[in-house]
Amino acid sequence: MASQYGKSRRSNAGNWFLHRITGTFLVFLLITHFWVQHYDDTTRSVVEQVVTEKGERPEYSEAAQKAVRAKFGADAEVTSYDVLMLRLADPVYAVLWKGFNILFLIAALHHGFYGLNNILTDYIRNPLNRKIATSLSWTAALVLLVIGVYSVIVAGWGYAP
Amino acid sequence: MELTAKIKRYNPEKDDAPHWETYEVPAEPDDSALSLLLYVKWHLDGTLTFRKSCAHGICGSDAMKINGENKLACSELVQDLVSGDGDTIKFAPLPAAPVIKDLVIDQSRFFEKYRAVKPWLMTEGPAPEREREQSPEEFDIIEDATKCIMCGACTHACPSTWSDPDYLGPAAMLKAYRYTFDTRDDGAEERLPVLDSDKGLWKCYTIFNCNQACPKDIDITRWLSALKRRSVTAA
Repeated sequence: MASQYGKSRRSNAGNWFLHRITGTFLVFLLITHFWVQHYDDTTRSVVEQVVTEKGERPEYSEAAQKAVRAKFGADAEVTSYDVLMLRLADPVYAVLWKGFNILFLIAALHHGFYGLNNILTDYIRNPLNRKIATSLSWTAALVLLVIGVYSVIVAGWGYAP
Repeated sequence: MELTAKIKRYNPEKDDAPHWETYEVPAEPDDSALSLLLYVKWHLDGTLTFRKSCAHGICGSDAMKINGENKLACSELVQDLVSGDGDTIKFAPLPAAPVIKDLVIDQSRFFEKYRAVKPWLMTEGPAPEREREQSPEEFDIIEDATKCIMCGACTHACPSTWSDPDYLGPAAMLKAYRYTFDTRDDGAEERLPVLDSDKGLWKCYTIFNCNQACPKDIDITRWLSALKRRSVTAA
């Protein structure tokens, strides 16, 4: 009997395996991201560094500062654009954080788009449409990857508040 | 007790679409669901069509959708399906398969998938003079999977099958596990590439519907995961 279940031309085992790996990875990357970006002492130390070196505090939006302090107490600091840029401009931290963010980006894109592709191929039956949909989605992933990596690399370069 | 059997009927020679019919049936709590169908066929409506053979959960003929879940009609007791007198039990054919008549589905695609995974022992080298031996420990690896009776409850309970009827499905891939992990088998190189496709292993999202549906309580999702790991190592 002519069977459609012949040997597949291309193995998908690698993508499935990466999906698992990136999934596990993302848990830790997300926790780190949230901690550093939103709850951290690193932010405070960068602020303090600016204060000691330059003798001035980075400017925060007054409204943002007020909102954060109302919620988290009078000592809470807003992670401002300045602080993020300074972190990425710092020669020591830059390599670490840029590397971290690029890794985060690749993991998130692969994980998300592998999932999206599964959904697309679940619902699109026509082989041609399927090919178009999956090609489009991987192209979108590639475009996002390029934009993302570019943004991470140039962010904070030579930034001075 | 008196129960209502609500049965999804379809006769392709007369009906445009399937429709529900209800029958009042006397039953004891320890009757099987199958006995309700037999009562309908013998006493109320001889045109009702369904598959059954051994009626003891071995032949796998009478898998169907009972109260919304894929089950073996012979292995389900009335007392586990209703809470009391006057309750209704709903019978429908297994989903995601063409219906031939009433509760009988066309299983040809199901068995095509079964054959596609080459469900037989593939060996290299000359055959031994006596049977191919296997230790109890080696058999333990595949013991659970050998309990499959090919009823189709799992494959037709799988959302991946619902979305793509050509998806190999848990039943066929469980067979692939049973032979690939048989220590006497050398056929992995031939068998795994059939599973490593978008009709195969990677469309299993470990939803566990197969485990829930299996009347033999086989841990199907677990064995499919073992196959996935084997595929990754082999690729």
